[in-house]
Amino acid sequence: MTELVLLASFLIAFAIGSNDASNALSISIGAGVIKLKRAIFLFGILVFLGIWLNGNRVMETVGKNLIEIHSKTLGFSLLISAILIILSNWKKLPLSTHQIIIGSLIGNAFAEGSTINFISLLKILLSWIISPITALFMSFFLYRIVEKIFLKVALFKIERFLKIFLLISASLISYNTGANEVATVLGPLIYSGVYINFFLIFSVSSFLVFLGAYLLSYRVIETVGKGIVPLDPLSGFVAQISAGITLFSFTLLGMPISTTYCMIGAITGVGMTKDLRTVKLELIKKIILSWGLSLSLALFLSLIITKIVLKIL
Amino acid sequence: MLEKLIGGEKLEKRALEYIQNYLKIFISAQECLKTLLLTEDLERSYCIENLEREADSVRREIISTIYKGAFLPYIRPNLCTFIEITEKAFDFLKTCAFEFRYINKEFYKDIKDDVVRIASINVEMAEILYKAFQSLLKKDNLREKNLAIRICEKKIDELKLNLTEKIRQKEITNFWEGKNVSDFTEALAKISDIIEDASDYLYILDISLK
Repeated sequence: MTELVLLASFLIAFAIGSNDASNALSISIGAGVIKLKRAIFLFGILVFLGIWLNGNRVMETVGKNLIEIHSKTLGFSLLISAILIILSNWKKLPLSTHQIIIGSLIGNAFAEGSTINFISLLKILLSWIISPITALFMSFFLYRIVEKIFLKVALFKIERFLKIFLLISASLISYNTGANEVATVLGPLIYSGVYINFFLIFSVSSFLVFLGAYLLSYRVIETVGKGIVPLDPLSGFVAQISAGITLFSFTLLGMPISTTYCMIGAITGVGMTKDLRTVKLELIKKIILSWGLSLSLALFLSLIITKIVLKIL
Repeated sequence: MLEKLIGGEKLEKRALEYIQNYLKIFISAQECLKTLLLTEDLERSYCIENLEREADSVRREIISTIYKGAFLPYIRPNLCTFIEITEKAFDFLKTCAFEFRYINKEFYKDIKDDVVRIASINVEMAEILYKAFQSLLKKDNLREKNLAIRICEKKIDELKLNLTEKIRQKEITNFWEGKNVSDFTEALAKISDIIEDASDYLYILDISLK
């Protein structure tokens, strides 16, 4: 069964690379700060460092504190997660990686009749709500502060500052992709009780994230960076650094949260500095629907499949 | 290491030096026209063509340095547009010098004072434009320079009105003579419009990243 857990975790890592690299890199690439190949290479290194240096808390929350892991059926639940994530990436469905994984694990626990730590679950659910709101307020106030500072600085100094800080904020998001997103995937595997070489697992999974980003992310990055998001470099920097700081804070607290939602919250915050009407209620409805759908779909499928597997085994 | 990663730091320095050089050539060309109009020494009219050629090669260097990777792509088009706007002023300077070679010197005597005053204000405006660009390098009051350029432009508008009134009172019997005077005064007065446009563009550039 270990092989199945490994396969599913690695598949999700690859899917994260292909889809979520755009969160970290699209603004910097769109702003022309760094070239695509160089950015993806840097992304891969930072993902590895993120898992290695700060991934432990999130891994502990997901793999140890949330449910009692059963290595026999865990592989099937994670495989469902992998299939759902790949399918949602392929079909462009608004399903979140975190919600799918947590949903699958809860479904597995229900089927196995094992204990679920509802306080941990509540903390995770709350962090999903609080994190985009935190990013929103942080970017709103940070934009106001930076805007005031920039009024006193010469144009070409601002330009140089933005170049460096866009790269730093992209690096922070990349680091958090490892420390939070990939850690959420690896948590159940690490705490499944099977003997594994952690360093090897971290290396292989970050290589797969890199591979996913290298092979499949360029279209998403170019579309988001140069097409869909018409962010000026200052707004882009503020949005990204706010999302990055929020993510890092929640990572330190061990909470598995979505980078995409933090970015949406931060971009909305920047938009609110211009006009309050930029807050799109439709988008908020979509996010809530996506949360509910991802979580319940993964939970339901995992519950059914685990029950079937338990009957067969 | 970070600078190496980002790259382009040297390119930016070079582009900024080129732009400053370009604006210095612009001031020299303005001064050259003023001396030509003041001394009526036709030999002087050729220095404007030479300076225009020099500015043209610097302009090409600026555009290619910018597109080699200097500055964020977000401000690249704005910088290039600023250069292209200023380039138009060189065209008018050239037209002015060219038309001056054929102007009726008797006729010119009556309008010389106004023409030289316009040329002097143009020199002043070019110098302010150079200082305005330098404000982008080290934070200085760009708005103040922008305002000074607008005031100069208003003065030139008034002088042009005065000049047109004077010309209208003269009897012109030859078509080519009339066209020559019209083209000359039109080109001379247009230079300040271009400088004003360039200054406005610098202001837009300054607020574009804020």
